[in-house]
Amino acid sequence: MSDAVIRWTTLEERDVLRQGAAVSQPTVGATPASARDETPVDDGGDLRLSRRGFLAASGFTMAGALAACGRAPPVHSAPGAMAPEDVVAGRATWYATTCGGCAAGCGLIVRCRDGRPVKVEGNPRHPVSAGGVCAVGQATLLGLYDSRRLLRPVVDGRDATWKAVDERVRTDLERVRATGGAIRLVTGTVNGPSTSAAVAAFLAAFPTARHVSYDALSASAISDAHRRTHGVRVVPRVFLDRAETILGLDADFLGTWISPVEHTRGWRAGRTLGGAPPRLSHHVQVEAALTLTGSNADRRVRLDAGTEGAFAAHLAARLAKAAGLPAPATPDPLPVEAAAFDSVVAHLWATRGRSVVLCGTNDVDVQACIALANEALGAYGGILDVAAPSLQRTGDDGGFAAFVDELEAGTVSAVIFAGCNPVADAAGGARLTAALPRVAVRIGLAERHDETTAALTVVTPLPHAFEAWDDAEPVRGVVSFTQPLVEPFGEPRSLRACLVAWSGAAMSELDLVRATWRRDVLPRLPAGAAEASSWRTALRDGFVRVDVPRAPARPFDVAAAAAAAPRVRPPGDGWVLACVPSVAMLDGRHAQNPWLQELPDPITKQTWGNAVLLSEVSARRLRVADGDRVRVTGKDGVTATLPALIQPGLGDRTVVLVLGYGRAGTDRFAGVGPAWIEAKPTVVRGGTVGASATPFLRFERGAVVYGGSPVVVERAGGREDVARAQVYDRLDVPKNVAPHGGERRDPVHETTLAAFTKDRRAGHPHAAHSAADLWPAEHRTPGERWRMVVDLTACTGCSACVVSCQAENNIPVVGKDEVFRRRDLAWMRIDRYYADVPGATGEVEVVHQPMLCQHCENAPCETVCPVLATVHNSDGTNGQVYNRCVGTRYCANNCPYKVRRFNWFDYARHDRFADLVLNPDVTVRTRGVMEKCSMCVQRLHEARAEARRLGRPLADGEARTACQQSCPASAIVFGDANDPRSAVARLIAQDARHYRVLEELNVKPSVGYLTKVRNRPADGEGAERHG
Amino acid sequence: MSRRVLVVAFDDEHRLLAALRHARATPHEVLDVHAPYPVHGLPELLGERPSRLPWACLAGGLAGLGLGWALQVWTSVHDWPLNVGGKPHDSAPAFVPVAFELTILLAGLGVVAAFFLAERRRSPAPAAACAVRATDDRFVVSIGARDATFDGPALARRFREEFGACEVEEILVEDAT
Amino acid sequence: MADPIVVAAIPERTMGAAPTTAHPAHEPRDDVRWILGDKGPRDITDDVCRPLGRRPGRGWWAAFLVALAMLGVGVASIGYLFVTGIGVWGLNRTVGWAFDITNFVFWVGIGHAGTLISAILLLFRQKWRTSINRSAEAMTIFAVMCAGIFPLIHMGRPWFGYWVFPYPNTRGPLWVNFRSPLLWDVFAIGTYFTISLVFWFVGLIPDLATLRDRATGLRRRVYAALSLGWSGSARSWKRHETVSLLLAGLATPLVVSVHSVVSFDFATSVLPGWHATIFPPYFVAGAVFSGFGMVLTLMLIARKVMGLEAYITKKHVEMMCKVILAMGAIVAFAYATELFMAWWSGNPYERFAFLNRAFGPTGWTYWVMVGCNVVIPQLLWFRRVRANLAVVFVVTLVINVGMWFERFVIICTTLQRDFLPSSWADFSPTLLDIGTFVGSFGLFFTLFLLFCRLVPMIAMAEVKAVTAHQPKADDGKGGAT
Repeated sequence: MSDAVIRWTTLEERDVLRQGAAVSQPTVGATPASARDETPVDDGGDLRLSRRGFLAASGFTMAGALAACGRAPPVHSAPGAMAPEDVVAGRATWYATTCGGCAAGCGLIVRCRDGRPVKVEGNPRHPVSAGGVCAVGQATLLGLYDSRRLLRPVVDGRDATWKAVDERVRTDLERVRATGGAIRLVTGTVNGPSTSAAVAAFLAAFPTARHVSYDALSASAISDAHRRTHGVRVVPRVFLDRAETILGLDADFLGTWISPVEHTRGWRAGRTLGGAPPRLSHHVQVEAALTLTGSNADRRVRLDAGTEGAFAAHLAARLAKAAGLPAPATPDPLPVEAAAFDSVVAHLWATRGRSVVLCGTNDVDVQACIALANEALGAYGGILDVAAPSLQRTGDDGGFAAFVDELEAGTVSAVIFAGCNPVADAAGGARLTAALPRVAVRIGLAERHDETTAALTVVTPLPHAFEAWDDAEPVRGVVSFTQPLVEPFGEPRSLRACLVAWSGAAMSELDLVRATWRRDVLPRLPAGAAEASSWRTALRDGFVRVDVPRAPARPFDVAAAAAAAPRVRPPGDGWVLACVPSVAMLDGRHAQNPWLQELPDPITKQTWGNAVLLSEVSARRLRVADGDRVRVTGKDGVTATLPALIQPGLGDRTVVLVLGYGRAGTDRFAGVGPAWIEAKPTVVRGGTVGASATPFLRFERGAVVYGGSPVVVERAGGREDVARAQVYDRLDVPKNVAPHGGERRDPVHETTLAAFTKDRRAGHPHAAHSAADLWPAEHRTPGERWRMVVDLTACTGCSACVVSCQAENNIPVVGKDEVFRRRDLAWMRIDRYYADVPGATGEVEVVHQPMLCQHCENAPCETVCPVLATVHNSDGTNGQVYNRCVGTRYCANNCPYKVRRFNWFDYARHDRFADLVLNPDVTVRTRGVMEKCSMCVQRLHEARAEARRLGRPLADGEARTACQQSCPASAIVFGDANDPRSAVARLIAQDARHYRVLEELNVKPSVGYLTKVRNRPADGEGAERHG
Repeated sequence: MSRRVLVVAFDDEHRLLAALRHARATPHEVLDVHAPYPVHGLPELLGERPSRLPWACLAGGLAGLGLGWALQVWTSVHDWPLNVGGKPHDSAPAFVPVAFELTILLAGLGVVAAFFLAERRRSPAPAAACAVRATDDRFVVSIGARDATFDGPALARRFREEFGACEVEEILVEDAT
Repeated sequence: MADPIVVAAIPERTMGAAPTTAHPAHEPRDDVRWILGDKGPRDITDDVCRPLGRRPGRGWWAAFLVALAMLGVGVASIGYLFVTGIGVWGLNRTVGWAFDITNFVFWVGIGHAGTLISAILLLFRQKWRTSINRSAEAMTIFAVMCAGIFPLIHMGRPWFGYWVFPYPNTRGPLWVNFRSPLLWDVFAIGTYFTISLVFWFVGLIPDLATLRDRATGLRRRVYAALSLGWSGSARSWKRHETVSLLLAGLATPLVVSVHSVVSFDFATSVLPGWHATIFPPYFVAGAVFSGFGMVLTLMLIARKVMGLEAYITKKHVEMMCKVILAMGAIVAFAYATELFMAWWSGNPYERFAFLNRAFGPTGWTYWVMVGCNVVIPQLLWFRRVRANLAVVFVVTLVINVGMWFERFVIICTTLQRDFLPSSWADFSPTLLDIGTFVGSFGLFFTLFLLFCRLVPMIAMAEVKAVTAHQPKADDGKGGAT
């Protein structure tokens, strides 16, 4: 569906849109032509009712929502080809918008039902994300329906009207301006043209004002290094699809680094095995913590935290020498084995021009070394684009550090925090708490109260991304739009509107965005982009591509790069800390989101909290086991006490803390989960989910240091439950119970590129199983026969599918105690297995295997159900009839894949507001019934019904499961196997990598997998390995 | 019309059998024998025909088997055919246990029902005082007068002296017919 | 009522001082004296009915209150379960059955001894069964009642439990899945309970008539209604014998089928450790083994408490010990066969399942099972052990524990670790698991204690028939042929 048109409600309409005649042709019913015209302001007057009328009609109990009804609703937010009278109750509408989960700016299409967003999907045409959405992006939907959101402005702790706020702020700022006091506007990355324009206007209006932008997960050092080497402060945009060799140094680019979805797309594009010869980039990851990216590397080399600089220096020196460039000094000993280092360098050099080094270490000198290495490899201009760079992390650590110093010095008169929470997530945040009360004017714009707003006097609500007009330019040359999908809850106002209001002229949000569109974006449209020049089309597509002014390229400043002297490792052999973000929490901005709190970390599988991650050797040294509480003490006596978790693949001096936890207000989740006599609360009252690692961050040499600080680690006594979704981590069965020949199980088939090139069937441990059947073929699938194939080579384990499934299928969160009791309800889980790397102690390889109901033809679950609550459909899927289920759990016991989930309690959703997120197409299950993946039967039926209505066969790719749609790596292929031309049928029939898990049981699963192929070095450790 | 019945009680099954053999030789009718437990040889002595209860059992069993199988095939193949685990609609091997259990159930209930029905026609215990102990330790023979030669006291004496009857009583019984 | 014949005074004998009761086994069966003390029919009636007429003693009350308290715990646990959800048990997405089905199989197994004693031994004309068959059958019924609770309460939505019955309904052609072993269970357990109850009641009718004829007032009316006008007529007796024989003939394959069907719950699954053809005979043997253990436990208590030493003699105990020994041997053989087949099959999952049972995280349960079911019962090879009722009592308790663990091991260790290591999980019981388990014992003992008070514990008519034919202790005076 690569050519899918964004936002359509009927297939017919989509087809019309595809023909390019969409905008001007009414498709359904008699739509007034004026409703479709691009009249600037008033055209939406008649459009507001149907989509917006939901609030009034559905009878909210929320006071904020009711209050909102009284106001004039925003108009013409993208009716597109759909006139309001055509909105059919019960039929979904789709709107293109931009993700607000982080600054990566991925394109979304959001499914709205009855006037409220119910599902987030990727926008397949979006230049940044190309149809993928990450777990966080999926979960932002729940953030919209968060009952703890700020609904209206608060002044001095009391609710206030916007009028009062504006008056007060204007007066305050006027006074500051009159006295010449400094005004500081603190934000995260701001890359939207309209917001940037508003900021610029504000700064112009207040000469003493300065904009301080920081990123909690900072890439500031990359920008600073490029200022040294390229003369511009930019983060290059990365095109991984062009890379043949990728070295990731401390950069979790598939998980949390800058733009994971975009990187995953690119990384995946370099790993397509279908062609001849097969294409598989060689990806080496050198890192201290075991990240998602490291888990997907062809080869992972662990090093201890704090030695990345030494590695970078050695790498730069070696590559520069090879390229005939001046080399930096290499002070430290090489922190990894020489053989591994040589192999990496050899690979990079052999494919120079198609090699790249990505480094996440936030140290300017390290990044300068990496820039030199990339220059030596010829990565600039090809894989790395400095001319049209990434604008996804433009924060400046130095500027923020200076701001904190200013604040402590008492030279700031007014401060405005917008959409950021530095007290909780920035290095030096603790210092802010002490310094802030001395600032006279303290204003904050936030979606909900947090650690920072606690110290402010004026707090105003920001809109959720699904309520807002906005634009963004995540990468230079792509402007992505955000349009409201629902009537705002409460009275939020964007930073843009606030700044404009406080510096003089008030304008509506839409007008501001449209003004920017007309002033800044339209002139930049490429010549001949007539269609895109329509505001309506831009909204429909969700983005426009604009020209990038080509500045004359400055030569690479080799001398500046070679002068880099990275930090030396901390002396001694004490513990070294690495603070890393997690895929779900990032910097903690989503700590209030229960979906993400319960999403198992892709590597540790931990939910509801963080832990002190230690290697096996370290754990032995400390004499701790999983769950023993451990205290980590850093400089200045900052401590964190958390349960220990043994994590393979870490350096033996490294201690890993996951960022983003320990947020104030997370004790709201104490009551998540059922109440019964042996229940334990998810969070202790007054406590937080996990503990914060932010206090361990500090400024050093102009940038925030995340890893490498020396710490003291000791046992704190006591134990704490670690709620993990998977407790046994290996395909190898425990030694004491391993039968001869059955030591390793084979749900995952795995091979190397070398073996695969020789024999495409490499990696399959058994010959194909005979298809002999005991029974005559009595059951036919006359129509579609749905099957799925998951490419294990592509799957990164990013868990976007898990949250997508949760959102689509109304899967409740169950709380920490229930996860601890192994009662998580996720229909889609990702099995993660470790395997030791032969000959390298402590190193592990990781495989991720999405596991969902396999929809077996000979389903063991069906046979054993006494009441026929689970039976086979004629489309080959295994149906679960909740109404009929009495809950014997026999089906779950008899499931070889253990994919069935049981409602042990009434996992009731007590939050009536959050219930708005429920997908009305999917039953909410009651206590005592079994549930499991239905292959999104509601989506299949919707697509099929639509095709039937139009009297044509269902096309391949029209019916898509939620997991498939979201997958940034396109690892999931789904379709009708009865159609020999469908992608899935071709894979099953032709791809020699195809296999089915536990095929020997002859249950005939409908879900297949493609062998995982790793591009290990040719001299690699052993040839193939099967599961 | 009523008739005279001599109720003779013994305290030992061997005496009973001996006396019974004698009584059978007289022209008088042995109406019934009541005993605290089933005495071996007694039915033969009384000339009972073999019981027809096994036939009831067989009929119940066959009904159970037929109904059980028919129920399963009808529901699974005809009334509501579903694809269950890819198995054929007529999963005959899987239908065996239920059919078997229903066979046993109806056979058992059938024979007990037949037993109760048959028992409705049995002769009640004679209203003699001594007969009450037939459920305890007495073996009681009821001998009905058939002809004029019935001499109660003589018979009683005979049973008492010759066969060791512990108690003899003569009663009048209203004939049902 | 005159009673001219005075029953000869019974010579005073103490049990232990009766060397003739310990005749070697090679003696002809008919010469064996199963009932001590030359009991006449009257004595038997008196002995058996005596406890029913008297007020219960302090011991009975104590036992009853304890049982009632346990039952209360169970009722409270189940009530809480119904209100809150199955989650109050320690189950999880991997281990979907643990205590619930363990208890179910355990109690069904307990029931089997009763049917075996009353039906199979009747077919084999084993006279020693007469002293114990009544209580053994009662035990069967109570055990099946206890067992039947678990499949109901283990459902996620027990209020829809009736959906497992094939009944015409208004929802259209909505039937049940006759391929599911759980449905077979419904029919097997239902039939088993019905036939056991009917068999027990038919056997009880003559004794109820005896009670009726001894009682007065309300009790007489109740017993009269229950005894259905039984008079002890020779024709009735003949029919009664025929019906008993037929029911015994039906119950014999039934009892074998019931635990076979229960074993199908596991044997027809795909899980390594469950998917085994040996299960039906293995389960039946195990059921008889545990059932005899429980019968013996109860009999040893009852003979003391109810004063029935003359009826339940050391000989009975000895015979039951021998049955236990034989069944224990079969069970041990089954354990060994399982291990052998796991190894011989070459199936790594199967091999792992058994290695995991023995040496995995809950391996201790396996060794408890082996110790209790295989090792300790070997003591019964020694006659001195069999003669020491205290030791026998302990051994039977150990067997009961062991057989509970057998079911737990089969169910729980198999589920804990099956095919995909990612899903492996452990089970640990909650208070509610234990409370429900205790409650089932409470129900069982409550019913059994009530039974002791309300119904003759010993089949009087049958014992009378046996005593009539057994040799007298003091050399054939009076009545012998």
